[in-house]
Amino acid sequence: MSNYDYAIAQTIEDAVSLLNEPGKRSIPLAGGTDVFVALRVNDLWFDRLVDVGRIPEMRQIREEGGKVSLGGAVQFKQAVENPTLRERVSFLSAACESIGGPAIRNAGTFGGNIANAAACADSLPALVCLEAEAHLCSAKGERVVPVEELVTAPHKTQIEHGELITHITFTLPPKKARSCFIKIGRRKAQSISRLSIAVIGTLDEDGIIDYVRICPGAAVATPVRFRNVEQTLIGKRPGKELFAAAGDQLVAEMIESTGRRWSTPYKEVALKTIAERALANIFLQDESSC
Amino acid sequence: MAELKYIGKPAQRVGGLEKVMGKTKYVGDYNLPGMLYARTLRSDLPHARIKRLDVSPALKVPGVLAAITSEDFHNHGQFGFPIKDMYMLAYEKVRYVGEGIATVAAETPAAAAAGMQAIICELEELPAIFDMDEALAPEAPQVGPLRADGKHPNFLGHYPVYKGNPEEMLKQCDVTIDQKYETVMQEHAYIETEGALGIATTEGGVVVYVSCQSPFIPRGHIASVLNLPEGRVRVIVPPVGGSFGGKDDLNYQAAGQVAALALKTKRPVRMTFSREESMIASYKRGAMRMNIRLGADKDGTLRACQFKSTYDSGAYSSQSPFTSWRASIHAMGAYRYDACTVDINTVYTNQGYAGAYRGFGNTEVCSGIEQAVDEMADALKMDPMDFRLKNCLKVGDVTPHSQTLTESVGLTDCLLAVRKMSDWDRKRKNYSNQPVNGDGKRRGIGVAALFHGTSLGAEGADEATGTIELHDDNLVTLTSGLTDYGTGSRTVYTLIAAEVLGIDPSRIRVHLPDTNTAKDSGPTVASRATMLGGNATKVAALNLLQNLDWAAADLLNCDLHQLQRVGESYVGPSEEPVSWETVVSHAREMGLVLSAHGKWTAPLIQWDEEHGTGIPYFAYHFGAQVAEVEVDMNTGLTDVIGLWAVHDIGKVIFPQGAYGQLYGGISHGFGYALYEDVDYMDGYLQSVNFDTYLIPTSADMPEIHGGFVEAEFSQGPFGAKNIAEPAMVPTAPAILNAIAHASGRRIRKLPANLERVMLGEALKKKASTVSCKVALNIT
Repeated sequence: MSNYDYAIAQTIEDAVSLLNEPGKRSIPLAGGTDVFVALRVNDLWFDRLVDVGRIPEMRQIREEGGKVSLGGAVQFKQAVENPTLRERVSFLSAACESIGGPAIRNAGTFGGNIANAAACADSLPALVCLEAEAHLCSAKGERVVPVEELVTAPHKTQIEHGELITHITFTLPPKKARSCFIKIGRRKAQSISRLSIAVIGTLDEDGIIDYVRICPGAAVATPVRFRNVEQTLIGKRPGKELFAAAGDQLVAEMIESTGRRWSTPYKEVALKTIAERALANIFLQDESSC
Repeated sequence: MAELKYIGKPAQRVGGLEKVMGKTKYVGDYNLPGMLYARTLRSDLPHARIKRLDVSPALKVPGVLAAITSEDFHNHGQFGFPIKDMYMLAYEKVRYVGEGIATVAAETPAAAAAGMQAIICELEELPAIFDMDEALAPEAPQVGPLRADGKHPNFLGHYPVYKGNPEEMLKQCDVTIDQKYETVMQEHAYIETEGALGIATTEGGVVVYVSCQSPFIPRGHIASVLNLPEGRVRVIVPPVGGSFGGKDDLNYQAAGQVAALALKTKRPVRMTFSREESMIASYKRGAMRMNIRLGADKDGTLRACQFKSTYDSGAYSSQSPFTSWRASIHAMGAYRYDACTVDINTVYTNQGYAGAYRGFGNTEVCSGIEQAVDEMADALKMDPMDFRLKNCLKVGDVTPHSQTLTESVGLTDCLLAVRKMSDWDRKRKNYSNQPVNGDGKRRGIGVAALFHGTSLGAEGADEATGTIELHDDNLVTLTSGLTDYGTGSRTVYTLIAAEVLGIDPSRIRVHLPDTNTAKDSGPTVASRATMLGGNATKVAALNLLQNLDWAAADLLNCDLHQLQRVGESYVGPSEEPVSWETVVSHAREMGLVLSAHGKWTAPLIQWDEEHGTGIPYFAYHFGAQVAEVEVDMNTGLTDVIGLWAVHDIGKVIFPQGAYGQLYGGISHGFGYALYEDVDYMDGYLQSVNFDTYLIPTSADMPEIHGGFVEAEFSQGPFGAKNIAEPAMVPTAPAILNAIAHASGRRIRKLPANLERVMLGEALKKKASTVSCKVALNIT
């Protein structure tokens, strides 16, 4: 049994001050779905948990002038139920809905998912596609870092000790945008992603792809957009052959990034499959695949 | 027979409400004043000699009161049945990662953990065997005990069935198949982990509460390793939170350890396992490699079966001699053959160890033979349902063991019923015509059949004794030495006693098994509680009824045969009903004894171990299951979209209980088919908790359509047979056959996970010793 302190932060200022109290290693606690699991098998790496899950503004989802703000302690269940997210960025809602089971979704948070930075984190690919930015607050002030850059390696981020993810913001994509999240897990619930993909895009009036963003999950070390693949698709008319080429390119770039690993023989087939399906869903309205 | 009032009718499960309301106390919930907590130091090497073991540093840790090793037990704590190859704590050697070496008792769990970590234990690593095919190599390191017959010490046993010469007959058959199949180890995944509580008595004996299946077995073991008379050891089984065959040996060790520590400290000592400790230390379903050859005529008549396999018992024999024997009896499936031989060789390795698990050998062989039968049907271009119907066992058939089946063989009816329920003919035809090269998702439907010998069979003496008592407040209590660890057997006994006595089940209570109050009725295994315990209850209830009937006849002034029952009341020639309570008080006034024993002994069976022939079981359960799947050809994901199961369990006594067993069993088979793989790598378990060891969730299970064929068995209680184990046996092969139908991909090694379905092989990460080593030290 580990011995550590626990403090409840009432406000963001309060949290930042507790996190930066000298002589005490404090870390933020939101849903606890990662911290408590790690605590069971790791040596204690902190003196105090600062509970940020009860700070009202960190629990809010707000939309103003086309910009969405997700509080760092917003739980996945809130995101699943939010009508704006469901309508405008359905792939993010779908990703949140695929996480764990009801108990995990009632506790797990966006801030926690980003800070834990697992390669298979399910909310991250959609956030990366949306070019979401994490707002970090510390004693030194606030800084804003794109989620894609914040995560530097599996379970590693640029977040410094004493920094708190207060909220995440992104601009809503065009109304006509369609998005898709596909996850392969070994079972239907309580399942860690074997592989996933988030894709969002639009067609112009002539039916040409004029906007697309692609981010796979659990494919490479961190969730990143595959911009070369996006460039392959931009300006083209959607079609199965185009998507197959995009899928091949995606797989080639994945292998270039990771090298051939024990799981590559599976992932190279499966990633191409879900990429093609997600693209077909968005651009060919193929509902069967997403 | 008069119409049954309670048997086969909806009933409230005994103990069900308490469980649902969270009121049931398991052994881990027991807290006694002054109770100590026990913790075991476990091996972090798969095979090693214990060079030095010194517990004295543990005793210096604040809060630690005692520490024990094999030296604290009589004869080093050696135990085991049928082969005595285990110890209460490791003696001289450890043979698997997780084997207990020393146990401490302390005031708090933290002190116990600190004490455990303070023990000095130097292990000298020995070469180990991780592949069953290498176990019998002349130079293989010795894992098993030396044998008197001079055979390789890693050889555990040979289990044959011999009828004719299939080798010759296969040459004459029009169509033959020759395939290899492989199953992997499976974790029981009971919700309640292992636990035991020991309390020393003032007479120098010990009372042990232990979560287990068969209380008389640990009583014997504890008495033996502590050198106490059996009368000084009392074992009580508290409510058990799931077992599925998994609460034998390891729990007996826990029971022995807390008993020794309680005697040493004169304080109550409780041990409760963490999930990780449970996963690492506990035995599993064993892995099996099979080679099956089948021969048939082109008209679809099965003629020959040659089954050869190796079964991996791991570091200890546990129940493997019996598991292997049951596997051999069922290896050829529920079919007629002109010639059939089975040879199973069971060996020791250092990959954990294997013991009892639901289906007990039949689950393993059924996944092989039922795929082979399907492959034969494919080769013959026959519908697999038709092929099974043509060849399956019927009343009057002689089995390959040379047993003539005289009654209660409902397999044909099961197959016909499940065919209809699942809409087999239409689906099989439609799915067979899917485009061969289509990508995306494809559907398939598959079937598997089974037979399963009831009770112990030729494993040993087979009898049970129940007791019944009518108390002063007119409450009736039943006592059985067989445990209801979630099977519903207490409800079965209640309904049987209610039916016999003609009283409402609400008048009846069933005691928990207690070796001081119950009669030894053999082990609670082999799905035998309904048939053995049910018959014993019936006999006991009839003995009590006789006295009550006499009292009624006396009261009503008539002959016994003139008595009638209306509701609970007795009615004589005067046609004035007399209440049951009135009859009971009259019986008391007459001085009649209102308690009784009832003993039931199973019909005699015999098995010739050398010639592989005889009558292995006195009756058989039969069943058939159909699975419908959708396979994603490009991700390897299998979605089971429907399951149908029809089993011949004889007379259904407690319907909800029977369906509960059916559904629960199928969920085990579902996991066995698609997810579960106890992934020992070089002796180290890779998945030590349920985050990576995956079992099906409610989201994965499709609706199960269940049904029963009641081919009553004349000697079963009210015609009942069994259900608990066989429910899971055909599920995996039904799913695998459906995957093959959908995808054309035959998965001959379990489980059919994403990679196997897509690539035909599993992908393995590099082995890691970290999870085990970290988990064994969790505080």
